[in-house]
Amino acid sequence: MSEEVQLAVQIGRLHLPNPILVASGTFGYAREMEGVVELARLGGIVPKTITLQPRRGNIPPRTCETPSGMLNSIGLDNDGVEVFLKRHLPYLVTVGPPIIVSIAGKGPQEFIELAARLDKAEGVAALELNLSCPNVSGGIDFSTDPARCRQVVVGVRQATGLPILAKLTPNVTDLVPVAQAAAEAGADGLTLINTCLGMAVDWRRRRPRLGNILGGLSGPAIKPIALRAVYQAARAVKIPIIGAGGIASIEDVMEFLVVGASAVQIGTANFYDPTVSMRILDALPSALAELGACSVAEVVGVLQTEPVPSATEGGPRR
Amino acid sequence: MGNETFSEGFDHRQKDRSPSAGTCPSLEAARDANRVWHGAVEILSNERIALQTYRLQFLCPPIARRITPGQFVMVRLPGSVDPLFGRALALYDLVRDQAGLAVGVQLVYRVVGRVTGILAQKAPGDRLEVWGPLGNGFPADPVPHLVMVAGGIGFTPFLALGQEALGRRQYGTPARSAPWAEKVSFCYGESTAAFLAPLDEFQQTGIEVHISTEDGSRGRQGLVTELIEPVVAQTGLPCRIVCCGPEPMMAATAQIARRLGLPCLVSLERPMACGLGVCFSCVVRVRDESGGWDYRRACAEGPIFDAHQIVWDTEESG
Repeated sequence: MSEEVQLAVQIGRLHLPNPILVASGTFGYAREMEGVVELARLGGIVPKTITLQPRRGNIPPRTCETPSGMLNSIGLDNDGVEVFLKRHLPYLVTVGPPIIVSIAGKGPQEFIELAARLDKAEGVAALELNLSCPNVSGGIDFSTDPARCRQVVVGVRQATGLPILAKLTPNVTDLVPVAQAAAEAGADGLTLINTCLGMAVDWRRRRPRLGNILGGLSGPAIKPIALRAVYQAARAVKIPIIGAGGIASIEDVMEFLVVGASAVQIGTANFYDPTVSMRILDALPSALAELGACSVAEVVGVLQTEPVPSATEGGPRR
Repeated sequence: MGNETFSEGFDHRQKDRSPSAGTCPSLEAARDANRVWHGAVEILSNERIALQTYRLQFLCPPIARRITPGQFVMVRLPGSVDPLFGRALALYDLVRDQAGLAVGVQLVYRVVGRVTGILAQKAPGDRLEVWGPLGNGFPADPVPHLVMVAGGIGFTPFLALGQEALGRRQYGTPARSAPWAEKVSFCYGESTAAFLAPLDEFQQTGIEVHISTEDGSRGRQGLVTELIEPVVAQTGLPCRIVCCGPEPMMAATAQIARRLGLPCLVSLERPMACGLGVCFSCVVRVRDESGGWDYRRACAEGPIFDAHQIVWDTEESG
């Protein structure tokens, strides 16, 4: 039965062989994971965000474990686009899955320059605009303000013919206007969500637990926030959504699909359960079949929100 | 996430679903050497060996066959979301079957936080999630006199290293050649005698043991770094120092080695989320050719580093 389920999904102009991707910043440049997982099986790989110039990243401690999650303030530690093109991309294109390059800039012009540079590179399937990294000054502004979000997406759209994903922050009063701005500006899809801004403190030492004081919360703790964001955005925009935030099991994946994600990214779970993506891929066909679906698309956004008759609510089935 | 789907020997790469024609055998061999095993293991024993210090044994032939001294494994409480992450523990020794084949791993840990506290309660038959082998490990380059310097729980890599250096044990696949040292000295400091590891295993191997305690309850009263110079001087043989312990102690050891003109390797312990090189948490400052420094990952580029290349926190950052 499982073999007949259609796993391929379409995110605007981007075709993915299956909906299980790995999130930026949680999978290195994939080479680190080649001894752990079968990279070729993934639906897509989003390597660690690159910038125009190399960045050392933030001062340690860069991560801190919190209940059911972690805070990070890595600070976009990366070798810059030129080293990426020379050292990482040639490897990534041999792996098989679509390579979705995550880029971040300090201003619209840097996004545009990066997009133009990557437009000429061989083997890039799409760009993901990291409009929402909370760890870099200037990084988060683009997706807290619809006008600035639109400006970056329009600029990148003019600079490249590659499909564009806009990765948005949950750290806003209302993400719907930002999602709509990205969609209207020509994004092929949205990635929801980036990390939630947070903090941890050692009160005895009167010190923050992160070198950068504030950081982004990720892991199972933020899954309800991510589900809410996908749900809200899916009702407001027509472009596909890639769900991310605390996904660590097939159950989590199905929840995101049902609320309206067309694909998902596994993030922090790669750190504490490095083969989780493979087990999710193993379980996906039968989970789809459980809903009577022959394809991923058939379960996207099938959430029923009308009230359930109280007789069956919470009670035993059958 | 449910660990009921977490079957033993969870290594997807071994399934080899996509045998590609014309793969280069040497590349395949290199990939095999880098293979990380991730799965569930059953605890054989978990015994207290010193104050707050435990020796954990489990069967895991895929890790046992390949791990070398100075490498580590990540250990996680199965299915736990709080605490969420694994902890890095260095190889202490192997478990061997009656034929002498490596079939399991011994790790030694000290109870310092929540995960190690829970670990100490585990009984034979309980399960853990592990992945490894990880990190670079110590080189097996021949040297007349190997001087191992440990502070506190930093002693854990040195039983295996000393055994290998003296040719009593071999590690890795293919097995690394041994012996590679004529003499092995072990300078080992604790705050007080109750923390001292059982020394008979070291002594039976032929390792010359020198002890210090800060309170003078055993061995020389003072810091372990005070033991180094006399031990180096006693033979006149060319030396290499290897060191693991609290960072100020490693920085002091590095300074002594530099003054004596000796090579010095340190095993750095940094909080790690993944152990695989994808989270960029565990960075240390390492000097580069340009005279500056950059962050390097303790898990991937280390944990063994040339001490003279490290920018210690006590130094000016430059």
